[in-house]
Amino acid sequence: MKKRAVTVAMSVFCAAFLATSAFAAEEIKIGALFPLTGPAAVSGQNCINSVLAAADFINEANPEINAPLAAGEGLLGGKYVIKIVQADHQGKPDVAKSEAERLYNQEKVFAIIGCYNSAATKPASAVAERAKKIFLCGCSSSAELTERGYKYFFRHAPTDAIESVEFVDYIDYLNKEKNAGIKTMGLIYENTEFGKHAAAEAKKAAAKINLEVVADVPFNNGATNLNSEVQKLKAANPDAVFGAALGGDYSLWVRTMKQLNWLPKIALNYCTGYQNPAVQKELADDGNFFMGGMGYSPELAAKFMPEAIKIQDKYYTPRSNQPFDSDSIQEAVMLMVLAQAIEKAGGPDTEKVLQVLKTEEFPSVMSLSGSVKFGEDGQNIKALSVITQLESQKYNTVFPLKYKDAEPTFPMTPWDKR
Amino acid sequence: MSSFLQVLIDGILSGLLYALVAAGLSMIWGVMDVINFAHGEFLMVAMYVCYWLGFILGLDPLFTWIASGIFLFVMGALTYKFVIKHSLGKAAMAPLLATFGLSMLLKNFCMNRFSPNFRLLSGTMLDGKTFEIGGAIVSVPQLVTGIFALVILAALYWLIKKTRLGWAIQATAMDKEAAELMGIDTEKIYLLVFGIGGACVGVAGGLMTTYLAVHPEVGALFSLIAFVVVALGGFGSIPGALAAALLIGLVESFSGFYIAAVVKYVAVFAIYLIVILVRPKGLFGW
Repeated sequence: MKKRAVTVAMSVFCAAFLATSAFAAEEIKIGALFPLTGPAAVSGQNCINSVLAAADFINEANPEINAPLAAGEGLLGGKYVIKIVQADHQGKPDVAKSEAERLYNQEKVFAIIGCYNSAATKPASAVAERAKKIFLCGCSSSAELTERGYKYFFRHAPTDAIESVEFVDYIDYLNKEKNAGIKTMGLIYENTEFGKHAAAEAKKAAAKINLEVVADVPFNNGATNLNSEVQKLKAANPDAVFGAALGGDYSLWVRTMKQLNWLPKIALNYCTGYQNPAVQKELADDGNFFMGGMGYSPELAAKFMPEAIKIQDKYYTPRSNQPFDSDSIQEAVMLMVLAQAIEKAGGPDTEKVLQVLKTEEFPSVMSLSGSVKFGEDGQNIKALSVITQLESQKYNTVFPLKYKDAEPTFPMTPWDKR
Repeated sequence: MSSFLQVLIDGILSGLLYALVAAGLSMIWGVMDVINFAHGEFLMVAMYVCYWLGFILGLDPLFTWIASGIFLFVMGALTYKFVIKHSLGKAAMAPLLATFGLSMLLKNFCMNRFSPNFRLLSGTMLDGKTFEIGGAIVSVPQLVTGIFALVILAALYWLIKKTRLGWAIQATAMDKEAAELMGIDTEKIYLLVFGIGGACVGVAGGLMTTYLAVHPEVGALFSLIAFVVVALGGFGSIPGALAAALLIGLVESFSGFYIAAVVKYVAVFAIYLIVILVRPKGLFGW
């Protein structure tokens, strides 16, 4: 009697096991390679949380959100789910290369999303190109990344070239419409792939309106102080400063300017530190009146991207205790785009998905432009950013005029009058 | 002229800070021949101690440096008792690798507990305070740190040169076995030296919280510069550490401003290399 009971129980267990296996969704592994430790770890953690939030959104049903892939669970009617494999490159290009190799060769990921730092994205995406695997880049902005003629590389963010032109257009507008008298500019940037290319593009763009570059100050990131750097800017006293600095360096730069009691008329920043809400929270009022390029802010989203707010509230904020920022959200967009491409290609076949990525336009509720379309070089031709100015932890949009929601405070209020 | 004066002041203030950070490392290295690879992480822990005391209890780093100094004294002593003591006398690299392991542990512990986010204590008593001399701006928090550095270095120098304990430390550093034959408890000396080394960096870290952000990576470059200061000044020499740190601060500041900001660390390490090649025991080495 006892034997029979055991046999019946075993049979039921086996039948249940087989049934679950038959209906279990297949995992598509996606590598997420970011600086989870090191000087850029704050931003790296935001990027990982963003990608994980996008994966949850894809894997679960979200009928209340009006976005592609929201209705059902997983991909292709639940046949596939996304599994994120996390990896840390510490902000180091050599580690990024070896981690990309590990992800493709050992973890057998279908594609990699990353790497935040342009200097890390460059070697990691070269690994992908050699392996003929897809590499998706959310926010690395070095223009050179999409100038290499790669077939398997796609990038969402506007490049430093696009942002530089936008910054200079804004200065031109201020000079013509507001009589700003901005004639000279200074550059302060980390001495990396990202910083150097941002500075090069800034110089090119400045030449178009005869903005004279009077200070060119690269610095080593993670420095113990930025006294000499800011002292150089102060000595040259440019009307405008273009900055490219990561979280900790950005904060040190702002505080050193306060210490030396100097400000330009206008300071415009390429992504990174300026866009990071955690950085701005720590800087508090010292961060006010700085400007920078943004593809996302809660204020912008409330007006132009309502569905993104829903995704943020449901999946991102519970993980990270803050809203999306302009950098990290772009990594999530790349996973959403890849998922749509896999659906359209009928499964995770690299060449078929590649073809879809190259030819289709993807609706994107988390992109300011509303959609993503890649050019021949893999650059998102729909990439859009606006110039914002920070005031009391709020990113006010000041340019282009179509998106403007506040008058800029110009020139920046001096430190002793705040 | 004001630019020159500004660069000079920045260099001196940075140098004094480096001297304070390096003093503890110098003592440990000079007395025990142990390179404390976790020195930068000790600094980071001290900063977190003051940050959290400031954040939770509202205490100002101008006072909590005492707490971070004591905390790091105990941490240094415990490091000797539970890590260094068991690695001494084994493979030559054992203490170095042990402290390297400790540095990884501390960094990743803080990363895990406090996240990589960096944190600033704003609204402190010295926050943003400056004054002007001859057109140059002096940062009060950095000046206070510099004054503390001078006082603490003078106290350390007095301790080593003028007290029986200091003579015992010197004797232990010169010949451990002979010191033991003279009745010196070298175990206690080692424990104390590691504690004092920790306390120095504890005070430095505590004061730095008045003007620098705290994050798990904050100690990395400071510890590298501390190694350079110690090697340049001479292992175990407090005046040497002060002179080397001032030299490094000035080289960093002047090269950063008059040559290019990006070469300031190149200049620092180039000077270090030259001095080490010409005088391997450092400028004031024993």
